[in-house]
Amino acid sequence: MTSRGCGTEHCCQQNPNPVIKEKTELNVEDKCISEDKSSQGEPLTDVFNNKIVFDLIRNIVDPEHPLTLEDLKVVQEDLVDVSDENNYVKICFSPTIPYCSMATLIGLSIRVQLLRSLPPRFKVTVEVTPGTHTAESAINKQLADKERVAAALENTHLISVINECIPARSKG
Amino acid sequence: MSHFSSVLQISDLDDFITPSQECIKPVKIDRKINADTKIKIQDDGKYYQENEGVLEKLEKVQITLADCLACSGCITSAESVLITQQSQEELIKVFETNNKMKIENIDGTKCIVVSISIQAVLSLAIRYELSPNDCAAKLSTYFRKLGADIVVDMTIAEDLALLESQNEFIKRYRAATIDKVNNVLPMLASSCPGWVCYAEKTHGSYILPFISTTRSPQQIMGSLVKNWLNRNLDGREIYHITVMSCFDKKLEASREEFSSKETNSKEVDCVITAIELEQMLENDNISLNSLENSLFTEPWISNERCEVLPNLSKHVGSGSGGYADQIFKFAAKELFGMEIGNIEYKELRNHDFKEATLEQNGNILMKFAIANGFRNIQNLVQKLKRGKSPYHYVEVMACPSGCLNGGAQVRSKSNLTSKELTHQLEQLYYSLPTKSPEENKIVMKLYENWLEGNDSDKAISMLHTTYRAVEKSVNALNIKW
Amino acid sequence: MPDIITGEMSGSEFKLEAIQTLNQHTGRVWHVSWHPEGKMFASCGEDRAIRLWSMESKNQWVNKVVLTEGHKRTIRQVTWSPCGNFLASASFDGTTCIWDKKSGQFECNATLEGHENEVKSVSWAPNGKLLATCSRDKSVWIWELVDDEEYDCAAVLNAHSQDVKKVAWHPNSELLASCSYDNTVKLFQDDPREGDWTCQTSLEGHLSTVWSIQFDSTGERLASCSDDLTVKIWKQQEHEWKCAHTIEGFHNRTIYDLSWNSDGYLATACGDDGLRIFKEEACIETGSISYKLVAENRQAHTQDLNSVAWNPIDPQLLVTCSDDGELKVWHFK
Repeated sequence: MTSRGCGTEHCCQQNPNPVIKEKTELNVEDKCISEDKSSQGEPLTDVFNNKIVFDLIRNIVDPEHPLTLEDLKVVQEDLVDVSDENNYVKICFSPTIPYCSMATLIGLSIRVQLLRSLPPRFKVTVEVTPGTHTAESAINKQLADKERVAAALENTHLISVINECIPARSKG
Repeated sequence: MSHFSSVLQISDLDDFITPSQECIKPVKIDRKINADTKIKIQDDGKYYQENEGVLEKLEKVQITLADCLACSGCITSAESVLITQQSQEELIKVFETNNKMKIENIDGTKCIVVSISIQAVLSLAIRYELSPNDCAAKLSTYFRKLGADIVVDMTIAEDLALLESQNEFIKRYRAATIDKVNNVLPMLASSCPGWVCYAEKTHGSYILPFISTTRSPQQIMGSLVKNWLNRNLDGREIYHITVMSCFDKKLEASREEFSSKETNSKEVDCVITAIELEQMLENDNISLNSLENSLFTEPWISNERCEVLPNLSKHVGSGSGGYADQIFKFAAKELFGMEIGNIEYKELRNHDFKEATLEQNGNILMKFAIANGFRNIQNLVQKLKRGKSPYHYVEVMACPSGCLNGGAQVRSKSNLTSKELTHQLEQLYYSLPTKSPEENKIVMKLYENWLEGNDSDKAISMLHTTYRAVEKSVNALNIKW
Repeated sequence: MPDIITGEMSGSEFKLEAIQTLNQHTGRVWHVSWHPEGKMFASCGEDRAIRLWSMESKNQWVNKVVLTEGHKRTIRQVTWSPCGNFLASASFDGTTCIWDKKSGQFECNATLEGHENEVKSVSWAPNGKLLATCSRDKSVWIWELVDDEEYDCAAVLNAHSQDVKKVAWHPNSELLASCSYDNTVKLFQDDPREGDWTCQTSLEGHLSTVWSIQFDSTGERLASCSDDLTVKIWKQQEHEWKCAHTIEGFHNRTIYDLSWNSDGYLATACGDDGLRIFKEEACIETGSISYKLVAENRQAHTQDLNSVAWNPIDPQLLVTCSDDGELKVWHFK
């Protein structure tokens, strides 16, 4: 049998050390500002831009690494597309390895976080950045299916994992 | 498309993460990781772990069929494993290696035993327009040409399965009626691995106590070959092949219960199905008709090998082994002193669900049923769950029409519907002479010589098995949604 | 898209007007279904409740009954039986409940179990004796009512390769349609030669999930709507169902549901918050058909529309429901 993304208990087995990618050093000042903002819960403004939306998702934690999606470069500000007047939000995320079996779970976490923090008027699209996953279209299709997402969120085991990935509002 | 019976396809609960990531089995890997460990992918596509400058090749994850059976996830991933572990290619490889060793006179050649089931013979007999006995005799020739040492008829194991099942039924009936033991009736047939696997994965403890502990003919054949036939082989290892009508039998052969921990060998090493055999013949450019007839071996009693012309027979009742009829007749006599001639079945919702009743002075003494196909399994299971099953015994098979219509039987070449083809197979089966398992003298001698008597510990370990409910995975990282 | 078709289509001969908004549900409302007599409809959703709405006075619909005992998770669909005495509900909890009023009030008197996970849809055959359900477990099941009480499994159909989204019966024959995440629509019939239900045909053409299907009242047309932003109209030509027309360019997001009225108007419920009504037009010269958008409300709700249903008696009345938690009753003229 070939080594496929065999749902491992820990993805680390596929990619134990994602640091092979160049880690972006965060500008300390930037980080403080952004965390300050998120620590206050709901964004202060009613008008959303890509920076504000990025702030909502940057601190989501990878289900298997104690690192944030921003640290892992899974999400990046310039891959967040927001048009407030059109009620449009599109996020592209880049799994650390092209066959990461956690990709759907990461996408689901992003979706849930936005579901919880954006006003319902927004139509949200969460997709894998083109070329970053071997099963890109299958993952995108599943994440776009709101019925599947709704059913998944009623699964207590699944939702508890997602809640662990999504930073608590109060967390600094 | 999956080759498994539909009953297994439906229990393929959650096989969607992504098409390439179906398997959810957690894999344990021994490894030491420190902060400087890196995984590198070389140009050849292999994975290496780099630790302090030292490159170490990473092992690919291996998943065996036994892993799949123990897992609550999909079953379709099992298919790719099956294809490598019990394929035509694997079979040919085993024959070729063995033949080469024989020619070069190398020690350690295996004794290759092929056991042939009646359902597969009938399927190929229709395909090649042969009589059942001729077809069996020519299959024997084909396997001997490939390098088989012994080719045997599986009827002997069917006889043992029927005798054990009927005795088990009497015990359960008495336990339920005299000792008021719960969860022993209805007794449900155990010879269909698709049904057993579905029950283990989906209905667990609800249904398992009702399933007969008697092994299927294939697995009785397994213990007979590996535990008895080996007696005068001077320690020569046996490679055991069965020829079956159904793909699910490969899963059955891979169950942990049917392999010896000491010798790490399976009782049935490789299951090859009728449709695969047709493929092999076509690949070899052999028309089965053109082969001469050769004999079956009967190595069970005397120390010399007895060779006989195939003389196939049927049992009373269905083409799935005739469990319901055999047990019904035996129990009527044993429990109520009644001799039953023909059993009359009443068809219920569809032709695949029928029941027979034993009555005396207007009282219902026993009620038996035959339930084939997934829809009828569903209705049966729901009846059992609601405590509304009126039955004492149910012959359950996952395929509509039972084993003659097994999922790996040769497809019709003349545009017959599967129902019409099944009808042909049934006609052919019913044309065979009937033999009763009680009259099989060899079987009686096996109880004496091999099994140390009826009901002995040895008989129980060789002819019975156990089941276990598969726990559903709650590891959220593996949940498919 | 033509610019003139906006809002309530002023200047059009048709008028689409919201006459009542109902907001008793909590959270997303998934489905609405009219009672066959048209005097009542049922709705269900995320709050695990089935609500029955009756007409109190003209244009006034009131929630009279709430059914909460029955399902442990989201109720995805409710459907009335053709006789109007039974209500079937399909839930993410993997079961289908059959409700009846034998005791004087609606109670769940039968639960159909067997699907491995979420049941997405349930539909009664026109004779009221057969019921179809479908699930994420990829299977379509047909149930048969026996002795007026028990439901036996009559068939399990494994034709789809993915999540099955909806099942719908032909209005006057025992022909069942299903649609799926595998982008296909499949048709099933009882095949006497096989003694079992079999998949007769697979309708291919949609490029993404097919969310809903419905036969029109004559049974001559089957409409399907999809995540590919199109609606397809299928017609039987020489015993084969073929795509006769594709409605495209009108919808901006996934189309979740559609409904035919008895006059042949087709309404769609779309994830772009819009409600649209189409009518078939035949070109006399070429014999080809097209579909004209005759009415549209682009802000029918404030979020995705999940379901739309025409009143079976009054072809001017329809109901929609939405992720915004509301139901709306519309008048179309």
